[in-house]
Amino acid sequence: MAEFELDCLGEACPVPLMKTEKKMAGLKSGDTLIVHIDHSCAMKNVPEWARKQGHNVEVEEVGDGEWDVIIEKC
Amino acid sequence: MSETGGRARPPRKPKRNQLPVGLIVFALMIAAGVLLSVYRSGALAMAWVFGGCFGFILQKSRFCFTASMRDPCITGSTSVTKAVLMAFAITTIGFTAIKYAAFASGQEIPGQSYVMPVSLATAAGGILFGIGMVIAGGCASGTLMRVGEGFGMQMLSLLFFVIGSLWGAKDMGWWNLNVIAGAPRVFLPDVFGWFGAVVIQLLIIACLYVAADLWERKKMGITE
Amino acid sequence: MKQFFDKISKNRYYAMVFKNPFTYVTGAVLLSLFQIALFAYSGNPWGVSGAFANWGAWIYRLFGGNVDKWYYFSSSGAQQTLDAGVLNNSGSLMNFGIAAGALLATLLASQFKFKKIKSIKQVVAAVLGGLIMGYGARLAGGCNIGALFSSIASLSLSGWVFALFLLVGAFIGSKLLAKFFL
Repeated sequence: MAEFELDCLGEACPVPLMKTEKKMAGLKSGDTLIVHIDHSCAMKNVPEWARKQGHNVEVEEVGDGEWDVIIEKC
Repeated sequence: MSETGGRARPPRKPKRNQLPVGLIVFALMIAAGVLLSVYRSGALAMAWVFGGCFGFILQKSRFCFTASMRDPCITGSTSVTKAVLMAFAITTIGFTAIKYAAFASGQEIPGQSYVMPVSLATAAGGILFGIGMVIAGGCASGTLMRVGEGFGMQMLSLLFFVIGSLWGAKDMGWWNLNVIAGAPRVFLPDVFGWFGAVVIQLLIIACLYVAADLWERKKMGITE
Repeated sequence: MKQFFDKISKNRYYAMVFKNPFTYVTGAVLLSLFQIALFAYSGNPWGVSGAFANWGAWIYRLFGGNVDKWYYFSSSGAQQTLDAGVLNNSGSLMNFGIAAGALLATLLASQFKFKKIKSIKQVVAAVLGGLIMGYGARLAGGCNIGALFSSIASLSLSGWVFALFLLVGAFIGSKLLAKFFL
């Protein structure tokens, strides 16, 4: 049940999604990844991708234009 | 989007309600529109208004033509692709209605300048634009949208989009002479008739929609 | 005063329209409606990149350059547009509007943040990407809006041909992105 963080602040589309995909591949079931983003597209496409993969996803707005996407690998 | 219930996250910088600033911006936008309609023309004010509406809708839906073509290549996701296809279908119907109404009453069909010549320049332009929009992180409308959202990178991209446009304009003399001149402008109703053209186009869009759906299911391993 | 604004922001209808994002489908439907409305109103569909060439010409003129002998700007219509200036150009005003509308949307959702350029990779990507988008748009007669969205809606074969090659370019771009810009 390890927790990992991925800082994607300031990244351009679609880098947050690509980095998240890569990172998630290396996680074990039950691990959690927290992706820090400030891109409005990523706040939609990262959770959408994660849900389609079957993971549990939560999105928290942590600042003006900043979100944490919390993905629990299933 | 969830509230902060249940998670013990360290508090970040305090969130500021930007609504007051938004209202000021809105007021300025209205003022600009009024000034335009008074000192320039109603048509120019409407251009500003339409732009504002497009920008608002694009941002709120995070609509991105770049994503519609790029996501199938990187994650296999086609949700944006399907939305773009829907937009093609709806606008086909609306535009054809307007064009046919003009045609049927003997008037000049509006918007025919957007029926462009099909030549190698179309292909070359498509490939260049496709590469560029993926690398730059946004297409033409997407770049403008992101400039409004405060992305420094797209502000830079816009500057070079303008420079590239000027460079392209400079070379258009050569391209027109050697590649585009004589190329056909194919208006589908001229080939298939009005009804035929709309049906065929909508059928193509429907097939592409199904193909996009199948692609996503295959690439992302969705089985339900 | 602050409480007043906070109260509005938390109102569920405000949240529905101004705070929460729209779905892609909602965006598609709304964009289409406004596209059709624009066409009905002005007789011309939406276009974005045409104005960029004009901006280039105006900036070039500021630096002492002259585009009047260029084929692209040689028509009387093009000359009139350039002489009338940016505030008389509907394409330019529409583009300014897009940026303003996006800014407004972000602010009303309290999601505005200025995102600085992070790395040299982003600079290279923005410069190269912008340049070839600009050049490519002139070759094809438009961008993803004018030569794709509006052309397809206008039942022009060129829109579909452009779409096909856009996809090819997007594929190449994706590979380049993964290799050099990730």
